[in-house]
Amino acid sequence: MTPTRTLELSGLPRYDISNRDPLFFGQVLLCCIEGSMFCILMAIYFYLRLSVDVWPPPGVQLPHVTAPTIALVPLFLSALGSYWASQGAKKNDRPAMLVGMIGNLILGFIFIGLRYREIATLNFKWSTDAFGTITWTILYLHTLDVIADLMMTVVLTVLIALNRYGPKQRIGVHVDSVVWYFLVAIWIPMYFVLYWGPRWVGTP
Amino acid sequence: MSTLAELPSPQLAAELEAEHQALRRVWNDRGGFWGWFSVTTHQAIGMRYIVTAFIFLLLGGVEALLMRFQLARPENTLLGPDLYNRIFTTHGTTMMFLFAVPVMEGMSVYLVPLMIGTRNVAFPRLNAFGYWMYLAGGLVLYGAAFFNALPNAGWFSYPPLSGPQYSPGKGVDVWAQMITFTEISAMCVAVEIIVTIFRMRAPGMSLNRIPLFCWGSLVQSFMVIFAMPSVMIASTVMLLNDRTIGTHFVNPAEGGDPLLYQHVFWFFGHPEVYIIFIPALGMISSILEADTRRGVLGYPAIVLSQVATAFIGFGLWVHHMFATGLPQIGEAYFTAASMMIAITTGIIIFCWIATLWSGRLRLTTALHFVFGFLFIFVIGGLTGVMLASIPLDLQEHDTYFVVAHFHYVLIGGALFPLFGAFHFWFPKFTGRMINETLGKITFWMLFIGFNVTFFPMHILGLNGMTRRIYTYPVEMGWGPANALATVGACIIALGGILFIANVLNSRKNGKVAGSDPWQAGTLEWAAASPPEPYNFVRLPVVNGRYPLWLPAEERAAVTGMRTDKREILITASVDAEPQFLHVLPSTTIWPFLAALGATIGLVGSILTFSWYYVAVVLAGIGLLGWFWPRRPLEQEG
Repeated sequence: MTPTRTLELSGLPRYDISNRDPLFFGQVLLCCIEGSMFCILMAIYFYLRLSVDVWPPPGVQLPHVTAPTIALVPLFLSALGSYWASQGAKKNDRPAMLVGMIGNLILGFIFIGLRYREIATLNFKWSTDAFGTITWTILYLHTLDVIADLMMTVVLTVLIALNRYGPKQRIGVHVDSVVWYFLVAIWIPMYFVLYWGPRWVGTP
Repeated sequence: MSTLAELPSPQLAAELEAEHQALRRVWNDRGGFWGWFSVTTHQAIGMRYIVTAFIFLLLGGVEALLMRFQLARPENTLLGPDLYNRIFTTHGTTMMFLFAVPVMEGMSVYLVPLMIGTRNVAFPRLNAFGYWMYLAGGLVLYGAAFFNALPNAGWFSYPPLSGPQYSPGKGVDVWAQMITFTEISAMCVAVEIIVTIFRMRAPGMSLNRIPLFCWGSLVQSFMVIFAMPSVMIASTVMLLNDRTIGTHFVNPAEGGDPLLYQHVFWFFGHPEVYIIFIPALGMISSILEADTRRGVLGYPAIVLSQVATAFIGFGLWVHHMFATGLPQIGEAYFTAASMMIAITTGIIIFCWIATLWSGRLRLTTALHFVFGFLFIFVIGGLTGVMLASIPLDLQEHDTYFVVAHFHYVLIGGALFPLFGAFHFWFPKFTGRMINETLGKITFWMLFIGFNVTFFPMHILGLNGMTRRIYTYPVEMGWGPANALATVGACIIALGGILFIANVLNSRKNGKVAGSDPWQAGTLEWAAASPPEPYNFVRLPVVNGRYPLWLPAEERAAVTGMRTDKREILITASVDAEPQFLHVLPSTTIWPFLAALGATIGLVGSILTFSWYYVAVVLAGIGLLGWFWPRRPLEQEG
């Protein structure tokens, strides 16, 4: 039976561009899925590492540490672009959104360029041995995720530039930057695992 | 609209009728051929999940019968060894990935929005996408039968048996990629169920008032989020890449380790059992509330036990690997953790017994299934405690004792509650009552058939009959018990046929149910049977755990929401105070197209790695269409 007492809610706001939007929650959960995936990959890395005496195996060079370390600079700075865009989305400030996202894209693609160079100079393949397999897998999957999010940013930038946007797209801009923070943050432990771990602990 | 007839004032009735008509225009899915692929309402998609999963149950059941016929007598020649391998692999894979998880998800997709008093799930397009991916995964597995590519390395496909050397052909690759489909689907549902429950509850439904079934769905969804990535890594990253592009995850010659696969697989595989079982706990609680006509005793204890079970469930995986020679200190830890599960599930069972004890029982078919559950699951739990102790496990590992144990746990713990739940919510799904007499006969056939089939397997296991053998010599003396088990399987099959007949008949000829035939207390019973696509004309306001058991004058409803859009209400995560309004997307074909694109690429990737890029591009195009803003754009406030 439909009750006669009522709770009148027509005065509520029609949207809320903040962390209260359902899309933000959904995106955080997708980050949890991705995050568990990367954590398991790191666990696999250590499992494989602990089951051999020499890591990496003879004849295989550790990945160079210089290029990935330099690549951290555009990566960290790109998060500022995301932050700028997300603040712009909350205030409905179109130029801020565009500046933030374009900045994020430029720095993000510089990071991908450096990542590409790094991968091209590795002296092992995924099929060389278990070390090659897990190193390539982590690099490959993180790169794929970064490119996917850059593509999402490209689409949003086009929509904002075409002025074809409303509150839903602004929430998209905000949530897109949340994904980017995640991709930057999850790279930090993987960076240490891949490049510094074998240099600090274990075989020279 | 019987609900309208009971209304006090003609003016209110007219208002409600106008709102009902407006909501109907906005929420009805498009008809026609393309309309069928564009559905985004949760009732339609939930029902598709349930029906599809039951069809896979039927297929898995037929496979089980074939195995039972083959084993009915010694040295039987009905199925050859290779076909037998393919059938038991397909049986296990179907039951775990294509039936048990999806059917629980389907029930959640259908019931959760109704139970928490909203109009749809949080992400309707993602929901549609998830269903299409699930269906595609099932079709990939069964489609492989036409190319003689059914998998044959068991439902967990251990390397090295499943590796390129010992499993040539494409069977294992099909298995590995089928996992990708079903896991994507499971994760879609998990994300949207969690967000739906946290953000879209009716005003006043604070977290300590949500129905126990929703707690089950919530806990299950969190488990999916953290467990499913693991199986995708095991099957798709490790196994498939080792087979197709020459990685070395499980190749000991190049520093890999087959045991690593077992760890990663079971880090998913054990939580999987609870992913199936925890929603079933919620179903039992719902049935008990209605059929004992009181609130379930110990609501906080049950909720906390479910959460604890989920946490402990992630720390048990090694008990599947006791026979692999791991360090003893580690094994001891996993024994202790495995036994701990008996505490949390024990608490829940005692709460239910107390509820039954103090309630006024109504012996419905659903309650019969709950009693069946209690009996069967407790036996399965006891053999579980036995298997958790390492010396015993080493004796029983890979024997029919284990087969008996996990069928007692899974059929007792999930299938019986599910059948009970299906009988219980049948009036909500269809608007008609299911025939109770036939339902009770179904129960007794399934219950007797189940025990006749699986109890002898304990004895067979103790006598040394190993799993997965396609036949055995007469001298082993296993013939009579196997023959008995086959008789039991036939009784189960007859029970299954009776169930289908009852469902089909009651759907057409059953007594018209009305919105609340069981006088139950939770919100799904406030909606019409079957529910309108928008669920409630006015969203309910909740001020108790069982809102329909409160006196009518204490109830309230939300007004002021737009009826010309698919608008829903977002409330605070903990206390459910109204926060803002939110428009959900309407019908769209893009999720189907995105799933189709992903399917083409993923099927190709069974053959060559580069097809992943096809999947990415095609699904990307689908997503672009999905997210491209339609005019008129939502207005700025």
